[in-house]
Amino acid sequence: MKKLVQTTIILSVVAIILIIINKRKNGKHVEGLDKGLKQFMQTAPMIIGAFILAGIIEVLIPEEFVQNWLSTEAGLRGVFLGTLGGVILAMGPYAFYPIAASILASGAGLATTISMITAWCLLGLLKMPFETAFLGVRFFSMKFVLSIPFSLIAGLIALILENTIL
Amino acid sequence: MCFYRNGVSVLVYWVYVLTRRVVKVKQSMLIVYIASAFLIIIGLFVGGSNLVFEGLKISLNTAIKSAIMLLASFVIIGQLNVLLTSDLIKKWLERFEGIKAIIVSAIAGGLFPGGPYIYYPFIMSFKDKNLPSYILISFIFGKQVYDFSRLPMESSFMGIDITLMRNIITLPIPIVVGILAKRFLKSVDIYNLNLKAGEKIGSNNNYP
Repeated sequence: MKKLVQTTIILSVVAIILIIINKRKNGKHVEGLDKGLKQFMQTAPMIIGAFILAGIIEVLIPEEFVQNWLSTEAGLRGVFLGTLGGVILAMGPYAFYPIAASILASGAGLATTISMITAWCLLGLLKMPFETAFLGVRFFSMKFVLSIPFSLIAGLIALILENTIL
Repeated sequence: MCFYRNGVSVLVYWVYVLTRRVVKVKQSMLIVYIASAFLIIIGLFVGGSNLVFEGLKISLNTAIKSAIMLLASFVIIGQLNVLLTSDLIKKWLERFEGIKAIIVSAIAGGLFPGGPYIYYPFIMSFKDKNLPSYILISFIFGKQVYDFSRLPMESSFMGIDITLMRNIITLPIPIVVGILAKRFLKSVDIYNLNLKAGEKIGSNNNYP
């Protein structure tokens, strides 16, 4: 709960600072608020759906599975599974983050979580239609193959940190 | 006649754009709701209605707890949208070369607002400005790894400590990829990778 309050305060302060910057720099702070609100209204049904999905995932994932495959003890298995999860979760940030948070809340380790987010950023299949349309299948395939080691390395670094420093 | 034809083309274009937007939003929303329904059915079979209600209670609690955070996140996203224009970012990209260009391009990618349907058409304009391929690559990786407008959402749900750690760990990726591209992709024309065999730049491929 403390973390939640902290995050809310930090985000609110950043929002206020940006409003002030926009007001002084270009006077478009109201336009910014309008854009943000519109985007919120547009994505609200998606966010509600993601919340429902995340809640159900949290109670459905068996504890044993989390312990063996996703937790800190899962080690490299967690990193690989996290990477795979990031690729499969082909959805926008509004749907992805609540689901990732529910997987974390169910007991997933830091390495699994970080490799999942990194894989979703780099390898997420959601971007495939755009990448292939604008830059071609060859570019998409090259980028996809080159991004796999980066996701795994990110997970590995998190795993080392998790087992040594944290 | 010409005015009429232009009017019709503009109308057709906007109907196309709006339809695509509606269909896209509905598609991803549909996936989430179908997956939810599917998992609710599994939940009913596995643990009965109690398990499903427990899950829905968690969903409601999370929604209530993160409501203010979400609102703040969207205020930030809206303000970033008006603060950072594509013209401003294009100006930054044209100013630098080499390793500096890679770093600036990665950061510019992270700052560029909007989804893939906005930034992919934007990066195609790099070709007209004769910007090298490695700038395009570090921009794409910067957008996908950093995406600063995504940070409020990420920190809302994952917590500031995990967000910070993830960003520190993945910080070098766009720069490393940019350096690799500069070194190894000198002879590859990224902008024309989607040309078919035998097709030439600017050709309509009607002749061999």
